[in-house]
Amino acid sequence: MEKIEYDAVIIGGGLAGLMSAHEIASAGYKVALISKVFPTRSHSAAAEGGIAAYIPGNSDPNDNPDYMTYDTVKGGDYLVDQDAAELLSNRSGEIAMLLERWGALFNRQPDGRIAVRYFGGQTYPRTRFVGDKTGMALLHTLFERVSGLNVDFYNEWFALDLVTEDKRVAGIVAMQMKTMTPFFFKTKAVVIASGGMGMLYRHTTNSYINTGDGFGIALRAGAALKDPEFVQFHPTALYPSDILISEAARGEGAILKNNKGERFMAKYAPKKLDLAPRDIVSRAIITEIREGRGFPGGYVALDLTHLGEEYIKERLALAYEAAKNFAGVDAVTEPIPVRPAQHYYMGGIDVDIKGRNPDIVGLFSAGEAACVSVHGANRLGSNSLLDTLVFGQETGRAVVEFLNSSPHEPTSNFEKEAEKIVDDAYKFVKSESGVHFGEILEKLRDVMWDYVGIFRDEGGLLNALSEINKLRGMISNMYVTDKSKVYNTEFFNALELRNMLDLATVIAKAALDRKESRGAHYRTDYPDRDDNNWLKHTIAYLRGNTVEIAYKPVKITRWKPEPRVY
Amino acid sequence: MKIAYYPGCATHGLSKDVDIATKKVAEVLGLELVEVPDWNCCGGGFLDEYDEVAHVALNLRNLSQVEKLGLNKMATPCSVCLHSHRLATYKYKEDKEIKKKVDKRLEKTSIKFDGKVSAEHIVWVLIRDVGIETIKKNVKKPLNGLKVGTYYGCQMLRPEQIMGFEQAYNPHSLADLVAATGATPVIFPTMTSCCGFPLMGSNPKAGLKLAYNVLNGAKEAGADIIVHPCSLCHLQLDSLQIKIQSEFNVKWTMPAIYVTQLLGLAFGFSPEELGIGKLAMEVLRVKGVI
Amino acid sequence: MQEQEVIFKVKRFNPEKGFWWQEYKLKVDRFTQFTEALRRIKSEQDPTLSYRASCHMAVCGSCGMKINGEPRLACKTLVLDVVKKYNSNIVTIEPMDYFRPIKDLIVDWDEFYDRMFKVKPRLYPSKEVLEGKAEHRLKPEDQKELWKFAQCIWCGLCVSACPSVRIDPEFLGPAAHAKGYRFLADPRDTITEERMKILIDSSWRCTYCYQCFNVCPRDIEPVTAIKKTRSFTKLYKEKSEVAKRGEKHTEAIFESILKTGKIAEAAVYLKTYGILQSLIDLIYMSKTGKLKYALVQERYVQNIDEIKKIMGGESK
Repeated sequence: MEKIEYDAVIIGGGLAGLMSAHEIASAGYKVALISKVFPTRSHSAAAEGGIAAYIPGNSDPNDNPDYMTYDTVKGGDYLVDQDAAELLSNRSGEIAMLLERWGALFNRQPDGRIAVRYFGGQTYPRTRFVGDKTGMALLHTLFERVSGLNVDFYNEWFALDLVTEDKRVAGIVAMQMKTMTPFFFKTKAVVIASGGMGMLYRHTTNSYINTGDGFGIALRAGAALKDPEFVQFHPTALYPSDILISEAARGEGAILKNNKGERFMAKYAPKKLDLAPRDIVSRAIITEIREGRGFPGGYVALDLTHLGEEYIKERLALAYEAAKNFAGVDAVTEPIPVRPAQHYYMGGIDVDIKGRNPDIVGLFSAGEAACVSVHGANRLGSNSLLDTLVFGQETGRAVVEFLNSSPHEPTSNFEKEAEKIVDDAYKFVKSESGVHFGEILEKLRDVMWDYVGIFRDEGGLLNALSEINKLRGMISNMYVTDKSKVYNTEFFNALELRNMLDLATVIAKAALDRKESRGAHYRTDYPDRDDNNWLKHTIAYLRGNTVEIAYKPVKITRWKPEPRVY
Repeated sequence: MKIAYYPGCATHGLSKDVDIATKKVAEVLGLELVEVPDWNCCGGGFLDEYDEVAHVALNLRNLSQVEKLGLNKMATPCSVCLHSHRLATYKYKEDKEIKKKVDKRLEKTSIKFDGKVSAEHIVWVLIRDVGIETIKKNVKKPLNGLKVGTYYGCQMLRPEQIMGFEQAYNPHSLADLVAATGATPVIFPTMTSCCGFPLMGSNPKAGLKLAYNVLNGAKEAGADIIVHPCSLCHLQLDSLQIKIQSEFNVKWTMPAIYVTQLLGLAFGFSPEELGIGKLAMEVLRVKGVI
Repeated sequence: MQEQEVIFKVKRFNPEKGFWWQEYKLKVDRFTQFTEALRRIKSEQDPTLSYRASCHMAVCGSCGMKINGEPRLACKTLVLDVVKKYNSNIVTIEPMDYFRPIKDLIVDWDEFYDRMFKVKPRLYPSKEVLEGKAEHRLKPEDQKELWKFAQCIWCGLCVSACPSVRIDPEFLGPAAHAKGYRFLADPRDTITEERMKILIDSSWRCTYCYQCFNVCPRDIEPVTAIKKTRSFTKLYKEKSEVAKRGEKHTEAIFESILKTGKIAEAAVYLKTYGILQSLIDLIYMSKTGKLKYALVQERYVQNIDEIKKIMGGESK
């Protein structure tokens, strides 16, 4: 197997991966970025609403970073590590202005400075935006900038597994998808920035590529996931394609109504109404649907009709287009059909405030793939774009620090380990019969949605674990029909499924063990938040087929837990 | 029926035969063409890049002249003129910034555009307003056995958002007109490709290559001649055909005539009356049409 | 939900076999996008079918392909809309034109990326701004104008549909020009001279066929970016032959309209090509019997004052 050597290797070409690459390359180190898609196709592009930022001199006069931190901590139902939230808020202005200097075309106020608007869970408006396509704008700006630096891009290469020696990173095995050729990337530092895992669920706003590959890689290498049971469901996904209808719609005045025409959020969040945090709104919608106040097919109405045609076409162009193109609905005259769908993963690879994983030396993670934890039990809108950039930058700097400290050189050759990784992957292709990945995948998505979704209980979670175990058994009987050596998508889909099953097992077990409700994790058998017993992070390892759960305290600096009412 | 008529500079210049043929065919069909009084150039497809505001204003002037006549449709035989007027009205309606600037230029003039007049292609008028049945009734000399390639060019079809009469990838207006004359319509892969005329102003070598691709495509599909709907394609494919032949070392001829010239032949006019060029006349003679 | 069975004819490819057509049957409803149809075919019927798709909401640019011969994004196209438009329950899916096929609907985009990188697709702000020592603001109307062209999702449809890229290796193509113009026109950019060197000659190699405008799923109008790039030609000193000729041609048209309200063909021809080429072309035209029209004198516009007013008074 051919070997390529780098100081650092980044998996994932979205905002977090690119930002890390920027820091590492700017410090003069040799860095490779491996992405299974061309970087501008990354899911960062789908983010719509905006990026929260407190910019001194250009913010609401009543606002300050502490309010931002408080909003984040409360929104995360107090599972947030408060030092991380403070860093997020304090760095937000700097990072927004950095992207602006690099050319990001933020919407402007008449005086030429960046404009601002409200978003769910914010005390004062602090979300900066580029029309309705902030993620795409920032991703392109950052990619354009990094493409001018000395970073080696390996686009449409699939990362298989980490190679470690004595709990230290020694390298990573990846395959060029076009030629199916495996390579061993010899490196001491790996940053996993591979994004989320929405494809585990039947209904998700995520892209088809969000198959949680980074989590599988980390788990199999012996790294823990933190808070894996915390999965965010976005309340307003377009019915039935689950395309995201941005929270910005509600930020700009759209109202959720049930089949009686009532603004039902008044019952569930009397102060914040439709701009309450996502988990509260999602549960509200499902409750309305379950209690018979939804529309046939299972959705509620998002009403924009009172905002006027010009306003809608200017500020909510994407939502308007999405409703028109994908549901045949004209939002100027009719309400948009929406229902909740999986949207974001708060859980992730266990890292500290600098993106360093404690289990494996040289392993880092940033963005949605990481859990610092800055979002706790529930993420506020417009905090994810901010998270990827701030912690992408922090992690990049931490990698530079790590490389500066002349870390230990690996001793072995790793040829055997690398070959084994590829052989394990190819076992599927060599089979002549068995199950196709599609059969296993479709069953997994239904199990996760039904039992590890918005409402959870013990019976359902036990059922989920048993079903997932069965599916894991089926994997050994999985085979790939396509034997070709050119861009074999079926082969890579099978590998993605392997990653998804590893992650699903961990999520279900962690959800089963957490006997309380907090943020996005809602147990109908334990509906209250239990700070006495559960104000702690779940730490989950996957040893073979068994999940090993431990716990870690939450960092609390200034904000003592309060009841989460909006 | 009465309709405003905008010939355009080419149609009164090097493509004058387009004007002659179109007027003869219109008379036969009872279509009264009222020439737009004191019309000005549409910009030729190039003015908008030089001065976007002037381009919109100039095109609106023609349309406001039509409005003054009390008519609401302006037919033109030139696809570029058609495209220019429709692009101008599209910009005026959709782009607030442009509208402001244009209104300022129009301030002290007599020009008023209320959006009531639309620019149409003579082909659209023939199909939609006159009707294939009426056209068939007036065919005195069916052109049986003549294989006619239907070449649409660009400006009449694209972009669909602004033109909108027929699908840009699957048009059939010319095929319908050709079939009405008794001739056999021939479709070919390059029938909606660009003839290259706009490139002649800057990169003529490439422009001629595109023209060659069109003619070659028709030749390989077995057409005897091609029809087209644009005075500028006429310049490119007919007037400059000898140049194309010499540039690409071509031994065959693929004459290009304007669609109303084909209709005129079917209506019984002679090729001289219709201003048909030498190359086409030779092929028509061989095919027994004349 | 009303379901209908549709037959999907897919043009597949692999290097050993070459091209072949394969048919699949699938039941769809009014909401089914082509990306969803492909996903279901792959998951339920034929896992070997290869295609690119990711966001399914027209923002990542992965799923460009030809559907019933039209270059489109698969996610932005609803199956039953196509069935209705063509009045047939058989739909065809093929890979995009022009790019080299790799596998089934996956084509080689490297050439497309090369074009984009050629135009230096990033902002080069001044040193003081980069170091945070100075601020550069942007007017709201500038943001709007630039954002129109910055929305490009690198889907490649425009390049696949462009006739000029196929015959002219010097032409950068529509997407690259939209991207290039976005930076050329950005008041905060500091490498304008260099950008003009890259963009101006190429901008005169577009044939205005409006294919790019027609296929762009984000309404970017690359041809409009090219027209606006051409207007920078007057600021650039080292013009190529092609740029010089093009500029002369456009100026001649403007002047002719300013003077007479019409295009005096002879005058414009002479100004663009010079006397020698004009005479040669005249000889070609005479061979087709067109000479009699070459010297037709057209009636000029009577209300020439109104024309002058509209055109802003004098030549630029």
